Order: sequence, then C-alpha cells, then structure tokens
Amino acid sequence: MSITAPTLRAAWTAASSRPSRVLRRAGIGLVGGLLASAALVATLRLGAAPVALGVLVGIGYGVWFRFPRRAYVDSMMTAAALGIPLWALVSVVLFPVLSGQRPMWTAAGMRALVPHLVGWVLFGAVLGLASQAVSDAVERWLGPEPAPPSAPEPHKRRIVILGGGFAGVTTAEQLERLFGADRSVAITLVSDTNALLFTPMLAEVAGSSLEPTHISSPIRTSLRRTQVLRGPVSSVDLSARRVVVASVPPITLPFDQLVLTLGSVTNHLGLENVARHTLGFKTLREAMRIRNQVIDSFERAEIESDPERRRELLTFVVAGGGFAGVELAGALNDFARGMLADYPALQTDDLAIVLVHPGDRILPELSPQLAAYALERMAARGVTFRLGERVADARPGAFVLKSGEEIRGQTLVWTAGSTPHPLLTALPFERSKRGAVVVDEHLAIPGHPGVWAAGDCAAIVDARSKEPCPPTAQFALREGRTLAENIHAALSSGRPKPFHFDALGALCVVGHHTACAELRVPFTRRHVRFSGLLAWMMWRFIYLVKLPGLERKVRVLSDWTLELFFPRDIAQTISEPAPAVEMRGPPTAAAPSCSPLAPGQPHPAAPALLP
Amino acid sequence: MPKLSHRVGGVMLCVLLGAIGGAVGQGLLSTIDSGILLGAGYGAAFALLAGPRATTPGAGLIWGLGFAFVLWLAVPVGLLSAASEGMQAMGMLDAARARFSHLIAYVLCFGAPLGIGLGTWGILRREEGHPRFSWPRALVVGGLAGVVGGWAFGKWMAQAGFFPLIAGLVGSQSRMVGVTLHFTFAIIIGASLGVLFQRDLRGYGSSMGWGMAYGILWWFVGPLTVMPIWAGQPLDWSWQRGAALFGSLVGHIVYGLIAGLIYAAFDRLWVGFFTESDPIHREPEGPGVSLLHSLKWGGLASIAGGLALNLVLIASGSMPSVLRAASGGAPVFGFAASFALSTVLGMSYGLLFHKEAPTFGAAVVWGLLFGLIRWYVDPLTLQPIVLRGTFDWSASAASVLLPSLVGQLLFGAVTAWSFLALERRHAAWLLLDPRVAAREARRRRPEGTPAPGLWVFALGTGVLLPILLG
Repeated sequence: MSITAPTLRAAWTAASSRPSRVLRRAGIGLVGGLLASAALVATLRLGAAPVALGVLVGIGYGVWFRFPRRAYVDSMMTAAALGIPLWALVSVVLFPVLSGQRPMWTAAGMRALVPHLVGWVLFGAVLGLASQAVSDAVERWLGPEPAPPSAPEPHKRRIVILGGGFAGVTTAEQLERLFGADRSVAITLVSDTNALLFTPMLAEVAGSSLEPTHISSPIRTSLRRTQVLRGPVSSVDLSARRVVVASVPPITLPFDQLVLTLGSVTNHLGLENVARHTLGFKTLREAMRIRNQVIDSFERAEIESDPERRRELLTFVVAGGGFAGVELAGALNDFARGMLADYPALQTDDLAIVLVHPGDRILPELSPQLAAYALERMAARGVTFRLGERVADARPGAFVLKSGEEIRGQTLVWTAGSTPHPLLTALPFERSKRGAVVVDEHLAIPGHPGVWAAGDCAAIVDARSKEPCPPTAQFALREGRTLAENIHAALSSGRPKPFHFDALGALCVVGHHTACAELRVPFTRRHVRFSGLLAWMMWRFIYLVKLPGLERKVRVLSDWTLELFFPRDIAQTISEPAPAVEMRGPPTAAAPSCSPLAPGQPHPAAPALLP
Repeated sequence: MPKLSHRVGGVMLCVLLGAIGGAVGQGLLSTIDSGILLGAGYGAAFALLAGPRATTPGAGLIWGLGFAFVLWLAVPVGLLSAASEGMQAMGMLDAARARFSHLIAYVLCFGAPLGIGLGTWGILRREEGHPRFSWPRALVVGGLAGVVGGWAFGKWMAQAGFFPLIAGLVGSQSRMVGVTLHFTFAIIIGASLGVLFQRDLRGYGSSMGWGMAYGILWWFVGPLTVMPIWAGQPLDWSWQRGAALFGSLVGHIVYGLIAGLIYAAFDRLWVGFFTESDPIHREPEGPGVSLLHSLKWGGLASIAGGLALNLVLIASGSMPSVLRAASGGAPVFGFAASFALSTVLGMSYGLLFHKEAPTFGAAVVWGLLFGLIRWYVDPLTLQPIVLRGTFDWSASAASVLLPSLVGQLLFGAVTAWSFLALERRHAAWLLLDPRVAAREARRRRPEGTPAPGLWVFALGTGVLLPILLG
C-alpha cells in the first residue's frame, strides 16, 4: 500500500492527541535545529557536539514556540534574540562548569566567547527561518495542526450557598480560591441583596457619617466565578436536593452541596405593637430609614410650635444595650446634637436620645469597667439610660416600658433581639434554644450529608474550647473559611477540619473619638482593656482594614476625612414615608403634616428622591 | 491596491533603497565591496521577509534594525571574516571589532532607510483594525518625554563637558547654546519617537525597550556620523572611536529609556483620561486592582529571579559595592540586601511589563530586556552616582561590571517567567467567562508587532557593544 498525502493527513487528523502534536512540533524543531547547527559548528569549534546541542535546542524551540503561517521574520528574530540567553547559559556558564572550570563571566572570558555569541545568534536566526519553513511545508503537506480536542464538559458538582452575609460570601470566596479554574464545580450564591453589608459600620450610616453604599461591597465584583442570584429563597427540598428562589418565574437550583448562611432577622419577642411601630437596625435600608427619620423629625420639629410635641418629635429611643444598640445610640446622639446648629428654632433640651436595656449594665459582652466607662461617657454627651427596663408596648406617640413608664416619642429603633432566618423553621433540622441549626464540629448538619451551615443561623460549638461560638462577624468570617475547606475536602476525598477560633476581642464606639476595646493578647487567654481616643483610633484602623475591597476603603476614608472639614450631610434621600408615620397621633391643627397617609400618597414633608 | 502588486511594489522599493544604501555605504566605507549589488539583495530579502509586518514607518524601522544586526553578524563578521581570514576568524573578537564600521553602515545605510521606506509603503495599504493615529498626542507627549530624557542625558553631558562641543556645531563656544541645541535635539527625537512608534507602544516596559533601541540608533546617527560630518571632520567609524564614545552610548540608552517611560506614562494618562475612564470601556478589574496584582506578582516572581541573580553575584564576586558597604562586608547581609532590592525591582517588572507577553517564550525575552535595562540603569548608572556622586559611563567601568550582566539577564528571564505563571493562574479564573477572555485578549500584546525585531536589536547591541568596545 502506497503512502499518500491524503492517507497521512487522515491518519494525522485521527491522531490529534497532545503527544502527536508535540511530536509534530518536535520534528519541525529537530529539522530546524539540524540545519541551523551549522552556525554552531563553525563558531563553537567543538567537533560534532554542537549538532546534538542544536538539535536539542531546536526541538525545544519547536515545542515551545509556534507562529502563524509565513511569520518568517517573527520566527527568525525571536529565535535570534533567544540566542543571547543561550550564549550566556550554555557558553558562559555551562561549558566551563562541565569542564571543571569557573564560569567565564569575566570581561576577558566574555570577549573570548564572542565567536560563541555570534554563533548562537546566527543559529537562532537560521533556526527560526528553517523551523518556520518546515512548519509551513508540513502544513501544506499534512494540513494544519489539529486543534487540541476541547475537553468534554465535566459532570458539574453544584454548590449552592444561601445567604450573602459574611459567612456566605467568605465561603464563596474561599471556594473560588480552593477550586480555582476547576470547571467541574459550579458555585451559586443566593442573596436577598446584591451587596455584602459591612455591619460594624452600619451605625455610622444611621448617624450620617458614612455614605450608605460605601459600606456595601457588591457581591458580583467580589466573586469571579460564582453565579450570583438576587432574591429570597422560598423553599428548600432536601430529599430532591433542590432550592427554589422566589423570583418571577421561580428559579429551581439543584444542589450537591448546600450551604446555609441565611443569617438572622429581628426578633420582636412577640410584641406585635412594638413590631408595628418600630424601626429595625439590621439592613442598609433600615439604617437609611433611621437617618431619614431623624432628619424628618427635625424638619417637623422646626415648624412645631407646641414644646411638648416638639420634644416628642425629637425623642429617639433605642431598645437594646448590646453593641448594636450602644453604637447606634452614640451615633444618633452625635448626629442629632450636631444638627441643632442647622435648626435655629430647636434647643438642646428639646432633644433626647434614650437607651432602654433590660440588664443592670450596658454592653454585657465587655467587662463591667468598660461598660461603666461607656455609660459615663455617653451620659456626659447627653444620652439617657433606662437600665433594668424593657420596651413592653408601643402606640402612636408613646412607648411603654415594662415598669409602666411611658416615654413620649416618635422614633423607636429595635436592637433588643434577633432570631435565625425563618426559613430554617421549615426544615427538619435540630435547632438550639435561640432557633439556630445545630451543626457538628465540621459545620455539617448531622444526618443530612452535603448540607452545611455557618454564621448567625448556625449553633456552632468550638471544637477545642467546647464553648458555643457567638453570632458575630468575626466568627462568621472564620466559619465561612472552614466550611469552604471542608466542602473542598468532601469533594476531593480530603479530611474535614474541625472549627476552632479564639476570638480576637471586641471594639465598640460610644461617641465622638471615644471607644472601648477589649483585645486578646496573641497566643494567650489574657485580655487587655483600654478606652478613649486610642481605642477609637484602633476601631477605625481595624475596621477599615477589615472592610472588603480597596475601593470601599478609599471611599470610607474619604468620608471620614471630609467629616473633619464639613458638617454631616442632612439631605434626605428617601422619599417614601418611614414606617414610623403609622405611629403618629391624630391630626391636629398645630401639626397638620402628621396626618396619616393614604396608601401611595407621598408624604408632604418628605422631599423627592434627590438626584 | 491589490495585495500582490503592493507586495511587488514593496520589493522593488526596497531593492532600489537597498541599492542606494549600498552605493552610499561603499562610498563611505572602502571595505564594502559590490555595495549596490549587496544592497539590492539585502533590500529584496528584507522586503520579502518583513513586508507583511512593516505596516508603519516605526514598525518597519524596528524590523529593519533587527535585520541589520543579524545580517551584520552573518555577513561581515561571519562569512566575510571566514572568507578572507579562514574559518578560524569567523566571529572572533578582532574580526567583529574590525568590522564595527560595517555595523554602523548596515544600520544607517540598510536597516533604517529600508525599514522606514517599507513601513511607509506598508501604511499606504491600510487594513481594517489599524490603530488610530493622533498627531497631537505623538508630538506633544513625545516632545515632553524628550525633554525629560534630555534633562537626564544633559547631567552626564555637563559632567563630561560636552555642551561646548555641541555648541561648536553652530560655530559657538557658549555652554548655553550647547544646552539649547541639546534640548532642541532631545525634543525632536522625542517627538519622532511618538510619531514613529505610537501604534506599537503599549506598556511602560515595552516603551522603555523601544526607547532604548531608538537611543542606540541615534548614537549611530548623532555622535558617530552627523556630528563629525557637520563639523567638517573625517568620518571615523572604527571601534576605537566607538569605545571613546561609549559614555555617549550609555547616555543615549538612558535618554531612550527615560523618554520611553515618560512617553508611556503620559500616553497612559491620555488614554486613561479620554478612553479608559469611559464606563463603556470598563474592565472587570479596575486599574487600581490590576496595579496591586502586578506589584504582588512581580514581588513574588522576583524571589526566584533574585535567588538566581544573587547566586551569580556571589559566585562571580561582583556583589554591588553599595550593598557590600551597606552590609558591612558580611556576605549574608549583602545577600539579604541584594535580595530585598531584587524584590522591589521585581515589583517594578510587574508594573512595567504586565500584559506584554502572550507566551512564556515572549515573557523570557521581555525579561531579558528588563535585566539588560536594569544593568544599564542600576550598576552602570545609579550605583556610581550613589557611591561617588558622579557618572561613570566609561567602557572600562562597563567591562568591570560585565560579570553581573549574566546575573541580571538571568534575573530578568526567571522573574518574567514566574510572573507570567502567576498572571495566568489568576487569569484562569477570569477566563471562565468568555466576555472577560475576549477583553483580556485585546489588552495583551498581539503577535505581529515588531517586538521580535526590537528584542534582537536592543538585546544584541545592548549586550555586544559593552563587550566589543571595552
């Protein structure tokens, strides 16, 4: 049987595997190297050895470099340029070392090796030309080099993460890092919002110190290969292993691994009136509403002639004396007292910031000394405390405490309780007293292979200390990382890692340039406590570093810098009526703007959304 | 114009230009035989090989320079030496030195005119997708870059007492006249850099490479050719004259490096302000993030490169004096200080050369160029200034520093290879999205630019001239 070009071509096309491609390129380089080695033979003067050397280099060049058809000058110049490092490597270093001498990199040595330099550059030029010519001839004869067969689409292992908070986004980021460009893994994250909210700075948004979007990092820009879906999860079917996202139309997401990082929601402790007449403090929208509610109250109070009514408008109550409540009360106090300069009709006595807390001291997460310091500093700056009390009821214009005391006011912000996401109640998981899903030390949900939980919605016990982990951002970040590593281990037959983390400490801002800090000394169980300006500076530094994304850091830093020179912004940005409108009293002649609104009717005092 | 007739026209033009160049070369150098025939053949070969690639005068010029260098090695240094003095003389130092004048003739009579001519011919046949050219951008940005480069070069000229010599071109002895003339030339050369190479200059590092090659060309043109002719002196293209003007060669290289860098900086500013800031052209990662990635990868990549460099420096006993002095003579501290410096310079590689290399091979060559640039800038220029406060651009100083050249080349190649590996590792994530992959491909230097010509000319002359002229 005669061997014809079409026969060879057909055989070649059939054998389009990587080894045959490499073989073809190596063959081209071999011929090129063989032809070009004449330059080495003439200049290196080492007998026939340069031929073998030339062939070897030629094969390497053929395998590593490939130019389009007829790119003679490109190929010639590139290979000629590579002659220079080959001269340095082979002639200057390798040859002398192999013959037991020192490398010839002295000036005299290099001058003696000028013929080699000439030889290597000319070798390269001929190698480039010859390889290109052979490559073109082979292509004409056998056809173009077969494209590498596209890899078959691998079976996708689907990881679905529910929740776009610290734990969820960290899990996704870490999964991306661990799986890299592995196409066999598909990661999907479902979140109610399209941005990760940096909650430690939320009080500064409510206090108009930071622009709202500056503490929210868009999830899509943080994640590279994760599919991000915005929308609430309507159901999770564990047996069919799928999740339904309540969009229009609903989206069904099958999963192999499911991560529950749904976070928590405000818990009003069953107080329906309070739930109806209060503002929450968990989301960006709620923080913006608080800010706008404060500005709105000032605008109304400015034109209010009745002193009692004015005080009622300017009384802001915060329920809960934990970190969130204290930081919010401090921020609102600074914001509101600073605003007085812009409202000439209002006096300092008209304004009241009241913090209601059921315990006998605020900030139970910190030591009693620091809590006392915080209370003293805040009281000195004008915050009023009702300790040992709790908000028991609310009605328009007034809030009733458990003792029966009534606080006349229009604004109540609830930070006194939270509970894991309600979706979890529909799932057959064991739950803790606070309603969180119980997980094992690897953050897996027992009895449900491939289902994991972390963050506020999970009840996690530290694998080493056996202490329950608090639902804070600090822990959620670490839990997310461990969870991702354990999923990676599960999908790659690795060993899961038990979760352990020693809390770094706690920081709490209580007012202008004032904070409390309780930090653990590294590698010990001891804590150092300090307060005041140093703690405040540390708070700002640490949280600026922790804020995700360089761009966000720059924006927040610019906000803080601007605040040194200009007063806080009091422009209203939300035109919709705040929910607190519902709790306003019956219309009076003195306060016509307080009349309840019909649905859809714009609030007369609320400006349109500013451009 | 049909493609074939355009190609034939290009060949004929190059044959004509080559023949003229050959005649001129033969007139200037009696050692060139059959100049017209040689030039015509040279022109035909160049047009056939580089015709499709010489799409602009600047691209043609760079291809022409690379071609001239290779042909000089092949013909006068290789074949003619072997023919006249036997095979043993082929490529020998003495033969290369004796034919240094041919290098100048090949560059000035063949490489430059043929390249510019073929490139000008190539631009007549515009194809779709040709980058737009902006005269104001080229002249203004190039002129500004020339001023900054001229200022740096001027520092050495003041030390070497060159300004009165320059003033002598217009019959004056005044230093001020010399300074004015120097800056006039610097601006003209800078503006011509912009005009010729605007379409090829992409990143900072490649622009420095282009500037370096252009600076070397102007060394051949200016002090070795135009100045003696202008001053009415006989033309001296001997290697001894080249060695005497070695300081001027380094000055031209430094001028070119700075002009290229400044041109790229202004150009990036221009493009960034008018084009890339447009949200329509937004990249997935902003310029700030790209910059940080480049610095990080450059720093990491330089760990391997720095290790290689320092081993060579220690083995060859050429640890820089600055670092020896800083470390009090202790080898460990010297190694650590040099290693730290390499990391910083590796970061600068990331800054200067990111998005330049489409393949590992190209990365290695860009890295070699980076190593060569570092050799000219760091041990040859900055270290004498830091240690003694003066320039020392003599051929003998360069000879002393030759051992470190091998280390610097190795440093550049290893750093560049490692950098591309890190860059690709990151891009693999992004490239899962085909839209991102398409954008990434657009940002990376495509094949077909005159970068290979640049590599040969800049690397070849940059490495060979200090060896040859020392």
